[in-house]
Amino acid sequence: MSHFVPVLLLILQETSGDRFSAAWESTKHPDLSKFLVIAAILFIIGVAGVLTRRNIIVIFMSIELILNAANLNFIAFSRYLQDTGGANPIAGQVFTVFIIVVAAAEAAIGLGIVIALYRNRETIWVDEIDLMKW
Amino acid sequence: MILSGWETVFFWIFSLAAILAGLLTVMARNAVHSALFLISSLVSVAALFILLGAEFIAGVQILVYVGGVMVLFLFVIMLVNVGAEEEGRAAIFNRTPQVAAALIFSLLLIIGLLYAINSGYQGLQKRDSISAEKAAAASTAREQTLTTGATGVSRLTRETERVGASLYTYASLPFEIASLLLLVAIIGSVMLARTVKQEIAADDVDSEILKQTGSDEGEVSANR
Repeated sequence: MSHFVPVLLLILQETSGDRFSAAWESTKHPDLSKFLVIAAILFIIGVAGVLTRRNIIVIFMSIELILNAANLNFIAFSRYLQDTGGANPIAGQVFTVFIIVVAAAEAAIGLGIVIALYRNRETIWVDEIDLMKW
Repeated sequence: MILSGWETVFFWIFSLAAILAGLLTVMARNAVHSALFLISSLVSVAALFILLGAEFIAGVQILVYVGGVMVLFLFVIMLVNVGAEEEGRAAIFNRTPQVAAALIFSLLLIIGLLYAINSGYQGLQKRDSISAEKAAAASTAREQTLTTGATGVSRLTRETERVGASLYTYASLPFEIASLLLLVAIIGSVMLARTVKQEIAADDVDSEILKQTGSDEGEVSANR
């Protein structure tokens, strides 16, 4: 019984050390999955901002954050396809240009709506803009 | 795609900066602070684009987002300035149950996304089976073939050239549609943001009627 404990400890140490060193190695060499995780976190921050904030301008900014996370995904996959020799790696960058165009158009229209709204209702808080509710 | 050396250091600096600035964008009390934090988040993501070898997209991101869209945001914040939020008299978040529901939803989303990325990336690695050394060797070999810049310090990539060529060849129809979309956005925002007086002036109404109804918004919109 007594000589089981050190063996167990040794096994535990070995496995945890292995796992730790593997994780350390992967942090020293960031690959596609790291970029995807960063983009996912940015996306979720944006979603939380859209769902929780009251200021409509900050909601627009959160939407920009979401679109930017999508851009990061596109560029990361573009680079990945370039390295692995996949099909047409430049398409991701071209698509990103179009996302930026759509984001700029959306911001222009959205902020025009905000100005018209503020002129008519004197508020930019989304929980007070309930004219079409029920 | 595997980064190494100094690229790793810059990757961690800029990705953590992007996430931190994004969090502060959502949590800042003052909308101007939110806009400035969003600018720093966008700049950090542009630096990540440069790490990924997409210099043109990084430049477009800085010029269009930081130089154009965020300036527009700051203008609108100044126009509709709300003091109550900054001084702490009004809540910046929705009611507590809504916030709790949103946070639970975000938590579920992050668990699902992390699981999906993990399993999907393992499947991708199994399919492509590219080793770290082979990828690094391929990228350095590709860099050796590039021409050196005029300063002799850096090598010029052909990435921007390829983006431009594909924008005008196989993506030419979306390119034209995008320009049409921008035109619609310009006209739409001008239409939306003009005042009642400007609307009447544009409609060629007699100046007598303009004098009568110019101040009364409700009557004008009923008449039109």
